[in-house]
Amino acid sequence: MLTLIPAVALLIYLTIALQVFKDDKVAYVFDTTSQISVSIAGQLKTKLDNILKLTQPILMDLSQTEDFSRISRAFLQFDSHLQSMAVMVWNDKAQNYEVGPVLEKSAYTFEKFWLTWRTQWNPSLVQVFMNQTVVTNPFLDSRFVIVQKVDRPNSRPYLVILLFDLTEFTEQFETLSAQSFYLIEKNGKILLGPKKDLGQNLRDQIPLSFLRLNQQVAGSGVEKLSDQKGAAKLASYASVGWGDLYVVSTVLESKALAAMNVLKRKSILFFVILLATTTILSLLASSSVTQSLTQLFEATGQVSKGQFDVQVDVQSQDEVGALAANFNRMASEVSRLMGQTAETARMENELQTARMVQETLFPAPHAILGPVEVVGFYEPASEVGGDWWSYTQVGQSVYFWIGDATGHGAGAALITSAAKSAAGLIEGLGFTPSQALSALNRSIYDVSRGKIMMTFFLGKLDLKTFQMSYSNASHEAPFLFRHKEEGQPYKKKDIEFLNEVNNPRLGQARDSIYKEVSVQLGLGDLIFFYTDGVPDIRDKKNQDWGEREFIKNLILAVNSSPSPTEVMAAISENIQAYRQGAPLADDLTFFIVKTKENVMNEGKKNEQVSI
Amino acid sequence: MSKFQSKLNRQGSKVVVQLGGVIDEDADFTTLSIQDAQEVHIDMDEIKSINSCGIREWIKWIGTSGNSKIVYSKCPKVIVDQMNMVDGFLPSVATVESFYVPYYNEESGSEKNVLFRYGVEYKDGQVQYPTAVKDESGKPMEMDIIENKYFKFIKSKA
Repeated sequence: MLTLIPAVALLIYLTIALQVFKDDKVAYVFDTTSQISVSIAGQLKTKLDNILKLTQPILMDLSQTEDFSRISRAFLQFDSHLQSMAVMVWNDKAQNYEVGPVLEKSAYTFEKFWLTWRTQWNPSLVQVFMNQTVVTNPFLDSRFVIVQKVDRPNSRPYLVILLFDLTEFTEQFETLSAQSFYLIEKNGKILLGPKKDLGQNLRDQIPLSFLRLNQQVAGSGVEKLSDQKGAAKLASYASVGWGDLYVVSTVLESKALAAMNVLKRKSILFFVILLATTTILSLLASSSVTQSLTQLFEATGQVSKGQFDVQVDVQSQDEVGALAANFNRMASEVSRLMGQTAETARMENELQTARMVQETLFPAPHAILGPVEVVGFYEPASEVGGDWWSYTQVGQSVYFWIGDATGHGAGAALITSAAKSAAGLIEGLGFTPSQALSALNRSIYDVSRGKIMMTFFLGKLDLKTFQMSYSNASHEAPFLFRHKEEGQPYKKKDIEFLNEVNNPRLGQARDSIYKEVSVQLGLGDLIFFYTDGVPDIRDKKNQDWGEREFIKNLILAVNSSPSPTEVMAAISENIQAYRQGAPLADDLTFFIVKTKENVMNEGKKNEQVSI
Repeated sequence: MSKFQSKLNRQGSKVVVQLGGVIDEDADFTTLSIQDAQEVHIDMDEIKSINSCGIREWIKWIGTSGNSKIVYSKCPKVIVDQMNMVDGFLPSVATVESFYVPYYNEESGSEKNVLFRYGVEYKDGQVQYPTAVKDESGKPMEMDIIENKYFKFIKSKA
């Protein structure tokens, strides 16, 4: 439709323009040919007038002498067209006009002429005696004849025959061109014109109105008509003003409008080419746009069905191309995000699995090991953590482990797993804390090659003597709360730190040396083991708890109850109250070890209690 | 959190290093070459925090000094805690020229860091506590640390 409308408009415009141009061209041709016809008729009239004027003095001379004198002969030589002049004199005896005096440039010129024409001229006499001057070319060549009556007193009038040559006019009419020029008589006889038409009647070729109606036309005119073959012609005519001679010009309309027809054909051809090109381009563009939109439509359908890895192949540089490029980017991004989401989900599943596996590395959070009660807490900052704590009774000794790997997350968790495995072996060998950390250091160093290290505190408590030997690999020193009687609350200054010995972190160097010391515990003593994640907890405003608040809350918790379980609960509550759901900055690990307060519980069996 | 900042100034055979911001796994010590210096003076006034990864990088870096004389100055609490806890954080060849001791007033909540200087507030394992530390309103302040733990490095250097 978008192509058809301008095509129809262009076609209408072309039709109107060509018609206007054609009308203008026809008018131009009419005007031109009419001017030419008038011009030729005027030239011929002038020529005939001049010839007739030339004969006036000769005729005057003739009237006086009844012959051509020497003066007349001189006049004859003066004009180049006039060939001869003869006077026809009435013969009463013969009752006919006979040749009288003859004036000629060359001898026998008239005689030769007369021998041929004498049998043809009679019809002209009627017009002559009707005081009309007869002009004709009896031999249909350049020789023209004028027959004129010259009245005489008391005698029959002379008939003067002027024989003259109009070669230049003949050539003008015979010249073949797009236009045909005719000199005709009123009856349509062609006196001059193309040779093939000489002597024929123009009325038989073209139905000129004035010829058809046999009307006398004084001026000039134009007509559009068809010849006997049906070919359209443009005709113009002009009266010579001499006798009944007319100059007629005809031209085939097809030739007159040849240039216009060429223009018309070229215009139509151009129009067709333009229309075809426009149509093809429109169809191609339309097809391209439609195809592109179809691709986009199908692609969006695939996306709606959950297939995001779809791309459309649209190369155009227009808005559709831009839309397709944006769609491809969107689909790619969605596909990437979907893949990323799937990968994240897979990793989260794996981390959940890892977390469950890691949880198996930790002991039960609550246990009573003879005269010792243990209760612990662990929460990783992410799915898996780098902290680890444990306790294991081996004979009459209990090992207490707490460690913190560099950083947190999967890498740290793997190291803690390795540490747990090594610790399990070490415990079975009955190593002292320093020996155990030395062995564990080599294991961690071999695994991590110095990239991940662990701080560690290892205490080995003799359940009989309550003597605890310990070694520290740069870990937070545990707090020792010596037993105090009820009603005597702990203060900050009461805290002892198990920091009498310090050693390099595990994994820092393979040949590090670890020392240990011993501390004597008593009944009712409480030791608080922790990692640095405890004082580093943050609230929603990202403010650290800090050492001061940490110790303050710890003392409050220890003062709140003699039960390690309740102390643990109090600390946990305080931590959660401070965090208010804020994420952990680091893994959170702590545990409490408390010796029995009296000998009444000495015989109690070892047990582990889940909380 | 402010990023790790460092500046190194060579004064002949002495190198003065100024550190600030957060020392973590992103802290880049490679631009702080101290291996050819006879004395390395480390100004820690602007250090805000240090984590376990930062401690690892610190010990690796400080280990490149060889037997150079190392002086720590203006150590904030976060550094003192590591000096007390992490073996190797304060190398045996290093001395502490000064460090901060946090004070606070529990009633008003005011806090202040008091610079303890070697030879003035501490020397040879002994600490000479300032006679009185008061906040801006004149209220007495007490130390916001546990002395047995916080001053342990002084005794270990005695």
